[in-house]
Amino acid sequence: MLRFILRRLWDGGLTLAALVTLTFFVMRAAPGGPFSKTRKLSAEVLANIERSFHLDEPLWQQFARYVWGLLRFDLGPSMRFRDYSVTDILMSGLPYSLTIGFWAVAVAAVVGIALGVAGALRRNGWTDALAGTVGVAGIAVPIFVIGPLAQLVFALKLGWLPVGGWNDGWRSLVLPVLVLALPNIAYISRLTRSAMIETLRENYVRTARAKGIGARAVIWRHAMTGALLPVIAYLGPATAAIITGSILIETIFAVPGIGRHFVDAALARDYPLVMGVTITYGGFLIVFNILTDVLRGWLDPRLRNDR
Amino acid sequence: MRYRLKPLLSALVLGAVFALAAPAARADDALDRGVGSEWSSLDPHVNFDAAAGWIQMDAYEGLVSFASDGTIIPGAAESWEASEDGRIYTFHLRDGLKWSNGDPLVAQDYVNGALRTLNPATASEKGYYFYSVLQIKGAKELAEGTTADTAGFGITAPDARTVVVEMLEPAPHILDIMGAFAMSPLHSPSFEANGAGVFIDPTKLVSNGAYVIKEIVPQSHVYLEANPNYWDAANVGVKKVKYHVTEDVSTELKRYQAGEIDITYDIPLNQIEALKAEIPAEVHISPSTEVVYYSFNLTDEALSNIDLRRALSLAIDRETLEAKIVKGEAIPVLGYAGGFDPTYPGPVIAEASMTQAEREALAKELYAKAGFGPDNPLKVNIVTTVAEDSTKRAQGVALMWKKVLGVEAVVESQERKAWLDTFYAGTWDVFADNLVGDFAGAETFLAYMRPSAEAGYNWQSDAFEAAMNKAAALPDKPSRNAALAEAERILLDDYIFAPMAILPVRHLVKPNVKGYSDSPAGYNNSQLMSLE
Repeated sequence: MLRFILRRLWDGGLTLAALVTLTFFVMRAAPGGPFSKTRKLSAEVLANIERSFHLDEPLWQQFARYVWGLLRFDLGPSMRFRDYSVTDILMSGLPYSLTIGFWAVAVAAVVGIALGVAGALRRNGWTDALAGTVGVAGIAVPIFVIGPLAQLVFALKLGWLPVGGWNDGWRSLVLPVLVLALPNIAYISRLTRSAMIETLRENYVRTARAKGIGARAVIWRHAMTGALLPVIAYLGPATAAIITGSILIETIFAVPGIGRHFVDAALARDYPLVMGVTITYGGFLIVFNILTDVLRGWLDPRLRNDR
Repeated sequence: MRYRLKPLLSALVLGAVFALAAPAARADDALDRGVGSEWSSLDPHVNFDAAAGWIQMDAYEGLVSFASDGTIIPGAAESWEASEDGRIYTFHLRDGLKWSNGDPLVAQDYVNGALRTLNPATASEKGYYFYSVLQIKGAKELAEGTTADTAGFGITAPDARTVVVEMLEPAPHILDIMGAFAMSPLHSPSFEANGAGVFIDPTKLVSNGAYVIKEIVPQSHVYLEANPNYWDAANVGVKKVKYHVTEDVSTELKRYQAGEIDITYDIPLNQIEALKAEIPAEVHISPSTEVVYYSFNLTDEALSNIDLRRALSLAIDRETLEAKIVKGEAIPVLGYAGGFDPTYPGPVIAEASMTQAEREALAKELYAKAGFGPDNPLKVNIVTTVAEDSTKRAQGVALMWKKVLGVEAVVESQERKAWLDTFYAGTWDVFADNLVGDFAGAETFLAYMRPSAEAGYNWQSDAFEAAMNKAAALPDKPSRNAALAEAERILLDDYIFAPMAILPVRHLVKPNVKGYSDSPAGYNNSQLMSLE
């Protein structure tokens, strides 16, 4: 097991290196630069500013400088948010994104799996219908429609929760978490439902039943482990994406997380910040993929000898 | 900076308790102002954003300050006088000025602030206020790094209460620049001890404005409280101010409606009409100092013909364009540099006395004269940014050119950075251009059209240069404005661009906020406001 994890970590490192290289050079290929904002600066002054950020050096030298910094866990200064280093920005934004992401994943997993199981057990019953409706709605209606709608109802009409920002403790958390969880509830419940239905038809479930094991134990101990496999395969990468922040959620609810930097930093040509968020997301993705594999191997012995 | 794990922990604990209690009361004694996207910097000598400028103007005070309507009023300097030739200004500081930590504020602190802005090591984009907007002696050499010797610098402090500014040319607009946005003082001891990090560390930050920064949460808010050591502390109307980041204007509107924000950063375009009907007294829309104009590529063979350029300008029905197509409340204009300074007369514009039908008739005539017609239509591209109002405006212009003249215009919407690059690459026929003035006056716009300021227009006019040189030598505002109007006439008569509109600033202001008023430069210092 340890060997497996180490090997996956090594692979992950290589992936990250490729990601860093690719992002670095693709970003530089885009027109404009971080300091081309207006045309009022004199060429000499612009050159001075670019020099202080080493943008005047040849590209390979900048890359070497960046990689050298990276090896010392230095992500460099932000070129847009001049007061902060990229590490500062990520460290100040991540807790918000992580908090919302954690609760969204938790809510999505619990509600999604419950709806899915209920739907599979009472197929075509009212729970199934409810799960189906939530599923279709959650997938079909985008966040940028549900978000403002939720603000309208819960913040403006009912006045229960704030519209946005992070000034009201847990109240500020409720809407972004629920709205972010909704599409994931939909996916997870659909996945669970179909996997559960399939698993219930498996021979080992029939055997368990034939042995006289109670219905509840068959479902929870035997069928569930099988049914959860595709859900976990989905949850791994989805968690990485959710906890690194959603640009839509953070923009709509004015959450001070890091999600918005994925787009804004690229538009502002803030090269170090783009690299920073890319590496963060890449790192989370790799870690969660490994966790997923470990978890699936634990649930399903057949997968353990894959490698 | 401290990493904020507290919100994470408290959220984990509180989030577990998912019960809905009574609605939270959000009316507080702080003035909540929207700033749009996050400030790019809170370093007073680096920040170049207008919105972050509001925070800066609250936390720092320049030699002069601005009333709500934009009028220049004494700031840290209680009086000033100009030399006969208008090149040397002497500012007299108030007696007993203090920094927020109680240290005495001296004239040299202002000199140090200007020097830090110009120092290449600061990598500030604002140095051009001192070497271009104002031609302060020695500023250019310092900014370009050709010398580090500050002995020849034109801003000096002969004694603790006197700041002298010596310019190479007279500039009556100097007072517009002497506010905190360009001219913040520097508290050297705290800066030298902590470096630039001091400006984002409320525990170490020392400032001289009506407020001190108490809390900074990136991407969320900046919170300020009244500075007890401010000279006019007794008259500071609001004691607490909070600036909120809200990237999305629709969300900001909802936060305003829910009472979380008192003054918004902007108003969503598609909501303006409804809001004007619903809460007319709270909708504040007024001209900013940003002008939009469509530049013509003079190196293009067809567009090098002045008749064609004039035809294109005349064929645009600006009133219809802004009111019916763009719908952003921009003010359509036929001039370029007017509309900001009420004392600037502006040139007489021939088109202004014509009806749109007459303009279009003349446009058709000139278009034909330039050798174009139905069998030989002009083909141009219009390069614009992807911003919603800019793209709409460009599409509207293309439509009008097609309808009136039969021109085949293609709109190319580009992301902002690419759009700027395209300008220099020269791969445009018509460039949807804009310029933000450095102050609310005509000169900032006209000076920009000199080839020495912007060579990218490929326009050289000896008459314009002569007129600008003549204006630049005049120390008093009335005669200088008259000379500038003459320069604008020469500029407009060459049709190197079609003037389009002055963009507005749009705010929603709660009725209980008193002391707010519209001004082109958009200075609205919180200290002059009060909450009822």
